[in-house]
Amino acid sequence: MKFDIDALIIAEESRDSALANRMEQALGSSIPVTYVADPRAAVRPLPVADPFDAGKRRVVVMQRRAPFLMACPAGSSQFTCCGYLVLVLASNCPMDCSYCFLQEHVANNPSFQLYSNFTDCFAELERLAASAPGRHFRVGTGELADSLAMDSLTGISTDLIEFFRNREYLTLELKTKTDEIDNLLRTDPRGRVIVSWTLSPDAVWKSSEHRTASPSARIAAARRVLDAGYRVGFHFDPMIAYPQAEPDYCRLVDELLDTVPADRISFLSMGALRMTPELRNAARRRFPNDPMLLGEEVLGGDGRLRAFGALRIRLYRMLQGRFARAGVPIPAYLCMENSIAHKRVFGAAPANPATIGERLATG
Amino acid sequence: MTDLDSEIRSLAASRRLPDSHLEKWLHLDESSRSALLELARTLKLRTAQIVTALDLLDEISVREGKLIADLLDRPSIHRLTRGAGSAPGRAHAFLEELRAMRFPRLRETIVRLETAIAALRLPHGIKLLLPRELSSDELTIQLTVSDADGLERLLNMLMEKRRELARILAMLGGGDEV
Repeated sequence: MKFDIDALIIAEESRDSALANRMEQALGSSIPVTYVADPRAAVRPLPVADPFDAGKRRVVVMQRRAPFLMACPAGSSQFTCCGYLVLVLASNCPMDCSYCFLQEHVANNPSFQLYSNFTDCFAELERLAASAPGRHFRVGTGELADSLAMDSLTGISTDLIEFFRNREYLTLELKTKTDEIDNLLRTDPRGRVIVSWTLSPDAVWKSSEHRTASPSARIAAARRVLDAGYRVGFHFDPMIAYPQAEPDYCRLVDELLDTVPADRISFLSMGALRMTPELRNAARRRFPNDPMLLGEEVLGGDGRLRAFGALRIRLYRMLQGRFARAGVPIPAYLCMENSIAHKRVFGAAPANPATIGERLATG
Repeated sequence: MTDLDSEIRSLAASRRLPDSHLEKWLHLDESSRSALLELARTLKLRTAQIVTALDLLDEISVREGKLIADLLDRPSIHRLTRGAGSAPGRAHAFLEELRAMRFPRLRETIVRLETAIAALRLPHGIKLLLPRELSSDELTIQLTVSDADGLERLLNMLMEKRRELARILAMLGGGDEV
């Protein structure tokens, strides 16, 4: 996929890094490259009408000072969690989904940051694995950035796969809304890599998921990586309860299962669209005509707007029922929902996060 | 500036309408600007009511892909604006109608639950309280008693109604009847 990039800014300390060199080779002839001693100013919002969008086109290659590995920020004692761990290798995303939480989360530093010292994460991962011998961990890169959107430029997926494929107790999850899989097809993951796609019906894609690959293209890409030895998973998250949602999600599931057999799907996740009021205001300012931002959301106890309980549980159950018709049990979980919701949808209370994480990692 | 815009500005000034909402009003198409002005005058909408109406109409308009003038031309709105009753009463009913248009399935579900609760014919002393805007799946059962006999009577009544109560809880939790 091709994304517009206006500027490439490289911190002096990262100038000789492999990542900076790859970016310069890929982009240097087409856009201005600037070297800065202190990149902090470069990541701040530009004084333009939409600084978040401008930030998406302003790539800053710099070192990350904070740890790369962290617990999933969605985790909370209020919710049943999946034990997901996050590697922060980049911040922001060239795609522009109207509902994206990054509009609030990185509002003060919206430039597209790529961390040149990303291989330092490997030492953190080794320490993690050593801290709990015999336990499996699922670690993903798709929380603060799409895992593959810029992969044709950065090649980071290749470095990651080469590390993970030799680690018995670590499973990498690459989460994406693209069909950017060329680098993956050139590398043997030895069963240690899951590629997961966020899937939405066409109506949501057209209305809200700007610059992303179409749902059909994502499904086709999933089939190709599956055939190349990767595991695949699918995130129906955010699920949006718009008026025609039920038949549209049914059609999407049918299209998926026509292409990817149910018994080859490693896991499914579901999560309703949730927004803080501040995020909804920011999203509405940027996308005032997107009806998907105007569902029947009400404010919940955690301060987020979601479709009212009965409506979203009904949608989860409908989707779960559609997959159940395939006759193959697929591991599934809800994101940012409590254990009662889990029980209503799956008929049983969820396991604890470590157990779910273990199950998803080992498939 | 058109006469219509002058009239809107004049009404906004008299109500001290926030600039953000005046701008929102003035950015509407002409038929919508005009329809809302007529309605604000007819129902004598207060400042907060105009703000709420503008926000709800904007959101309904985006949700349904329709002009605000078309939304205000619906029979359910006409009944309120042209019907009998005091202006404040009709203004209140108008905003409730807009909320029902903005949250149609939520309103339907609340009505269905309230109907199911009413059908239980619970005695005085037992109240079933739905969560505000159905934001959770928790049903509050409130007992008001002043002696042990009264408590036993209400608890027995609840036990008799437990199947119906379970059905209401299932509806709250996304059962098939939603």
